[in-house]
Amino acid sequence: MRAVSSRDLVDLLHVIEWDVRKLRRQTLFVAMRTTWFILQVIVFGTSISLLVRSFPGLNYYDFYLLGVFTTLVYSVSIARGYEIADEFDEGIVEYHLALPVKRSTLALGRVLGGSVASFLFTLPMYAFIMFMIRPDNVFYVLVSLVAIYLFSAGVVGLVITVVLSVKSTDATDILMGVIDALLVRLSTVFYPAPIIAKVLPYYYASLANPISSVSDFLRVLFLPEYAVYASLPPQGQVAYIVGLAVGFSYLAIYVISHKLEAGGWR
Amino acid sequence: MKSVLVIATRDLKRFWSYRFWLAGQIVMNVADIVIFGLLFNNMINRSLIPDYIKFVTPGILSLALFISSFSIGREVGVELRREVSDYLLSLPVSRVELVLGRFTGGALRGLIYQSGFVVLAMLLVGVPRGYAWLVVIYTSITLSFAMSGLSIALSTVTRDFNLQATIRSVVYYVLFFFSNIFYPPRVIAARFGGFADAVSYSPLSIATSLYRWAFGYTPEVDVVIDSLLLAAWTAVLLLASYFLYLWNLTKKG
Repeated sequence: MRAVSSRDLVDLLHVIEWDVRKLRRQTLFVAMRTTWFILQVIVFGTSISLLVRSFPGLNYYDFYLLGVFTTLVYSVSIARGYEIADEFDEGIVEYHLALPVKRSTLALGRVLGGSVASFLFTLPMYAFIMFMIRPDNVFYVLVSLVAIYLFSAGVVGLVITVVLSVKSTDATDILMGVIDALLVRLSTVFYPAPIIAKVLPYYYASLANPISSVSDFLRVLFLPEYAVYASLPPQGQVAYIVGLAVGFSYLAIYVISHKLEAGGWR
Repeated sequence: MKSVLVIATRDLKRFWSYRFWLAGQIVMNVADIVIFGLLFNNMINRSLIPDYIKFVTPGILSLALFISSFSIGREVGVELRREVSDYLLSLPVSRVELVLGRFTGGALRGLIYQSGFVVLAMLLVGVPRGYAWLVVIYTSITLSFAMSGLSIALSTVTRDFNLQATIRSVVYYVLFFFSNIFYPPRVIAARFGGFADAVSYSPLSIATSLYRWAFGYTPEVDVVIDSLLLAAWTAVLLLASYFLYLWNLTKKG
């Protein structure tokens, strides 16, 4: 095992800081995103929940709130990919590679920085969701924040892996759009698992989908009576969330450390 | 006219270079119909909507047209950042031809993309008869031009990529949520009272109502009034987009 020096930690903090500082320039972006999220939750959420017939112990609007927030965390984390893809055009990736910073430090910094920035970005929307759900246990709020951060780290890792492997702004844009559309649709974010179980291929796809695990975990945490509508038991959901974070963070670090070369993006 | 077609053809040709995007969009729209049919139909209150798949399919027609016509905005935004727009302005075509060409290119994308979903709607909802076909064609053409123009104009408001994407997304979601694509007006009225009237006058709602009538889902639609309203929306949006696009392209700095 290689020794980690204090210089490495300082470098790591600088890389994380670089990613997080970009949020300052995105105040308007966060405000607009929060506005349209609240709009979605109030207009689309309340209207569509009125259409859903009653299920024992399930208020579809609360179910929808935690599902739609999960899709938000996912899409905000995915959006980091667009920024990283944009860094190709601006030569920032090459600039980073030329810095006197270890590849592994740079890689870890990008994963942590991207996920911290995504996490902070979604906090106003999280506050709104908590206002609507009104949780009665602060500990569960902290647990949910840890789960959201880990999920974000996993998705940012996925994005970095794809972007730095594909090396094309357009291809990244398209690929992430397709992954985004399929993962969100083939999940339990908007449909309870017993309803999905009526279509077995869909059900198995949703079981393997980390977005299902996160949305169901948040539901079970804040609305325990919804456990009967979840895809997996809580232990399975936690395993998926942690597995996603560790697995894709490692892959991103591997790609940056071993596969990434300066120049020749096309 | 020839210059308009040359520019429109250029945008149309580039549409095919986004084959994966196209495939992804088709998968998304078909998945929406299938998911709503297979899953949401089992969750829906049948007293409000007896068959949700028949209800939502004409809405997906509007959505498909909207998404594909709107796609040109992203490319126009990238062109602005990469200063391709300066090259376009230096071409031997008038500004009017340039703008009309771009609007036509976006609209053609929408119409071509939507055609497959028209066939799907015929299979799932019903086949339009005679005069109803004219309504389908009219609705598709007017809506595709309106959305193409709007998307192009919005993408030139700023050179910041994130802001471009955010502005387009905000408009996209406002039009998407404030429409009758996924829920009937009486549901919106039950939640938001008189606001439902405003939603029913949005361009996507009007187009969806016309499709629902043309495919035989809803007989109680005032086709003449709705067609005139859609024409008015298109005229206003195209005119505003024309001036906004040109102003943003030619302003200094």
